[in-house]
Amino acid sequence: MCARLTVVCLLVASLAMSTYAQTGTAEGLAIPATTSAINSAAPLSQRVVAYDMDAKYNAKAHSLDASETLTYHNLTGQPLDTFPFHLYLNAFQPISTWVREGKREATRGQDFEKWDPKSFGAEEIKSFEVVGQGDFTNQLQFVHPDDDNNDDRTVMQVHLPKPIPPDGYVQFKIKFHDQFPETLERTGWNRDFVLGGQWFPKVGVWWHGAWNCHQFHAYTEFFADFGVYDVKLTVPQYEVVGASGIEVGSVNNPDGTKTVAYHGDDIHDFAWTASPHYLIYNDTFQSSMGTVKLRIMMQPAHWGQAERHALIAKQTMERFDRWYGPYPYKTLTIVDPEPGSQAFGMEYPTFITAGSSWLMPQGLLLPEGVVEHEFGHQYWYGMVATNEFEDAWMDEGINQYTEAKVMDSIFGPSTSTINLWGITAGEENQDRLFYESVAALDPIAKNGWQYADNNSYGGITYGKTALILLTLENVIGEDTMRQAMHTYFLRYRFTHPTKEDFLKTIEEVSGKDLRWYFNQAIYGTQVLDFEVLKISSVPVEWYKEDLQEKPGVTEYMDNVWIHRKEDFVIPVDVEIKFDNGDKVREHWDGQDRWVRYAYQKKAKIESVEVDPDHKIYFDRNNFNNSRTEEANSAPARKLANYWMCMSQFFAQMLAWWLV
Amino acid sequence: MNENVNLVFASAAIARRNKRYIVWFYLLNLAFAHFGASAFSDAAHNILDHSLYADKLLHGFNLGVFTELLTRPEFGAMPSATHPAIMFAVVFFLASLVFMPGVLLGYASDHRLPRDEFFRACGRNVWRFVRLFLFFAIIAGIVAGVLFGGLNALVTAADKTSNERLPFFTQLVGTVIILLLLTIIRIWFDLAQTEVVLRDQPAVRKAIAAGFRRTRRNLGRLLGSYVVIAIVALAILVAGILLWYAIVPPASVLGAFIVGQAMMLLLLAMRFWQRATAVAFYVREMNQPVVENVRAIPTFAASMAP
Repeated sequence: MCARLTVVCLLVASLAMSTYAQTGTAEGLAIPATTSAINSAAPLSQRVVAYDMDAKYNAKAHSLDASETLTYHNLTGQPLDTFPFHLYLNAFQPISTWVREGKREATRGQDFEKWDPKSFGAEEIKSFEVVGQGDFTNQLQFVHPDDDNNDDRTVMQVHLPKPIPPDGYVQFKIKFHDQFPETLERTGWNRDFVLGGQWFPKVGVWWHGAWNCHQFHAYTEFFADFGVYDVKLTVPQYEVVGASGIEVGSVNNPDGTKTVAYHGDDIHDFAWTASPHYLIYNDTFQSSMGTVKLRIMMQPAHWGQAERHALIAKQTMERFDRWYGPYPYKTLTIVDPEPGSQAFGMEYPTFITAGSSWLMPQGLLLPEGVVEHEFGHQYWYGMVATNEFEDAWMDEGINQYTEAKVMDSIFGPSTSTINLWGITAGEENQDRLFYESVAALDPIAKNGWQYADNNSYGGITYGKTALILLTLENVIGEDTMRQAMHTYFLRYRFTHPTKEDFLKTIEEVSGKDLRWYFNQAIYGTQVLDFEVLKISSVPVEWYKEDLQEKPGVTEYMDNVWIHRKEDFVIPVDVEIKFDNGDKVREHWDGQDRWVRYAYQKKAKIESVEVDPDHKIYFDRNNFNNSRTEEANSAPARKLANYWMCMSQFFAQMLAWWLV
Repeated sequence: MNENVNLVFASAAIARRNKRYIVWFYLLNLAFAHFGASAFSDAAHNILDHSLYADKLLHGFNLGVFTELLTRPEFGAMPSATHPAIMFAVVFFLASLVFMPGVLLGYASDHRLPRDEFFRACGRNVWRFVRLFLFFAIIAGIVAGVLFGGLNALVTAADKTSNERLPFFTQLVGTVIILLLLTIIRIWFDLAQTEVVLRDQPAVRKAIAAGFRRTRRNLGRLLGSYVVIAIVALAILVAGILLWYAIVPPASVLGAFIVGQAMMLLLLAMRFWQRATAVAFYVREMNQPVVENVRAIPTFAASMAP
């Protein structure tokens, strides 16, 4: 009896479990465990959301009508009765926080004084139903968690009378209408091109015990949960379409439109583009997880650069695969957007926009740099899904660092940005310029929208982060740093790590306590500027009236003063060269404001250099890091000659036309 | 066509015969540019002379390091470097305005013009040339303003199409056309200046009218000659830059100076060639021994004699 009862109980239990495993809840909801878009037999992320969308694009009105079915899996461990949603396209209206911040700083590529209302963007909810709980269309509220702008409509919230239990599911059925803006912030239309970015109501992320759903700010980006996307796009048949994920079907409709279906696994956003002009260049990359199809959508005038795009994509993917970890998706779509649109240089999962021009000499590495950079985001935003509102540096900055590593390895450290007609520049030069003008304004660890201004956001999150990581690499060693990045990627891919997750990983892998560095570089605004304050070589027997100085015979008191002008403390090497060929290396802990090195030698000091191996990238002024006893006027004369030639030319042209 | 070729070669002979003018103007141009670049030069020496980092600018040209240099506070604001260059360019323009009458007279002369005649011509015509410049500035300014405004509208319209090359080529072709039209105005005033100097014409408006008539009647011939010379100038500029890039080692300051100055000298010579074209045309057109007339101009001393 007992045994029979046990068997019956086990049967009932196993039936119940199998039902739960298939549907998740009694209502039969679940997040699909599909893997068709990834080179993996099992899902790679803890899937929280499943978006099923059917959108029809009106190419004439640049608008879109869509229905969205969002299934949400409550993995927060607590009941949820409130759900916030991003409505990003509402940022492109004069009253929004995005525009107010942009107007404040005259940024975002739009002269708001001349902004035509036809170019505004909007996202309107037509209906909002919660399955099993009813229609909430009239109960939606706009909220503004980051500021006091009551008019901002980029976040809406719905309160449910019946909370969703832990591990429960809820399904939202939303109908919405999008009016795309004339391209702004890498979304919208330009002529007959459209880039659909941030175009659908997207639920916030439950993070650290609260909803994380920030308003759209002028220079912050995005944050979302992983899941599955099934999207049907209906567009005119003449359009060439590309999107996140893999294409799973395309049907021509009798009304002159076509419906293209896409599916994405383990991604947290979905973007698409359409234009009648794209030419498609196909290629493949063999990643360590399988074949990746590269689909490069080129502007006709840039067709000759398709191979450049493909080559840099493959070179970048090969290095990322080898250094940090595999790219698991089956596709990567690279979009060369409409020229003159503000759609270039943007990342979405498995979908990036590049940027070029019909006149692009080989030595101008702009397309290469953009493709590399945007692909890098597939790792530091796409898979390691950091919070770009609060920790923008963990995406943009780390990506800027890996960009420098990849581009330098391909094109050489001093020529990885420009190598044209004798004019050169490297990634580090670019990062230094970003950083130098704003060095002390903000710490790296700061909410993105709270930076002093757009320049500080760019200079600190991109430039400073790259420079402090390049320097850190020289503190702990290149191999150790690469191992740390590899560990960080493998450990935190398909999750939402914090800044401390990243920093602790580096400390753990390197086996070093690096708080002294992180506290200044990440959490502080300290600035570094070493200078060679002065050098002197005085004969020991200076008091002798008949002293005749002879090289190699006369003995000198040689002194070198090194000064730490600013407040960042870091150990540094100093190299002193003497005129008899001797070299001395000193190691200074940098704790004091200055240090003096004294020698008594039969040689005078020829030159002194702080950081002779150029390990520190963020010294604010590299010109004063060295001092030579003898002046070398050739560099200044060379530049003055250039300047003089240009002045002569200008004067001649003036006289040519006016007299 | 033959006449055209003859005019170009004849004017080249005139410019070559009087190459001292080109040399003097070149030296003036060089000296003023040297003064104009002194603020930039001082700032650069101050930062670079004792720094090893400057090597990135000597053995190559690292644009990032150069930009870092320009943004250093101790370098000073950019206007402190650009303003002197602009001021001395204006001074060179004024010097050209003052001394050009002497050059035109020299070009029309069949012998080496004595220094006193050169400067006398400059002195007699300075106010006339200022007035000519003002007329030129008004006419060319209006024409350029209207044409560039129209071109801007065209480029804006072209920018709205999906053809990415269209705005660029619209801008290029439009600019070339506008430059051709401005060249016609330049020819017109070059002839007016020639008239003023060689005829000792005090009535500037009459000279402008005469210049206009001659330009209108001989437009193809004159414009052809000016354009040919302008193309040679462009070729010199391109060849000079290529030569600079190909043969001058990055660290060779002297090499860069020589190539750069050779380019500047030849460019200046091209404008003098155009000037000589205007004079050669004028002399042929008038078909009279102009120099004798010029010599007959009473000197300042003679006119003051009782």
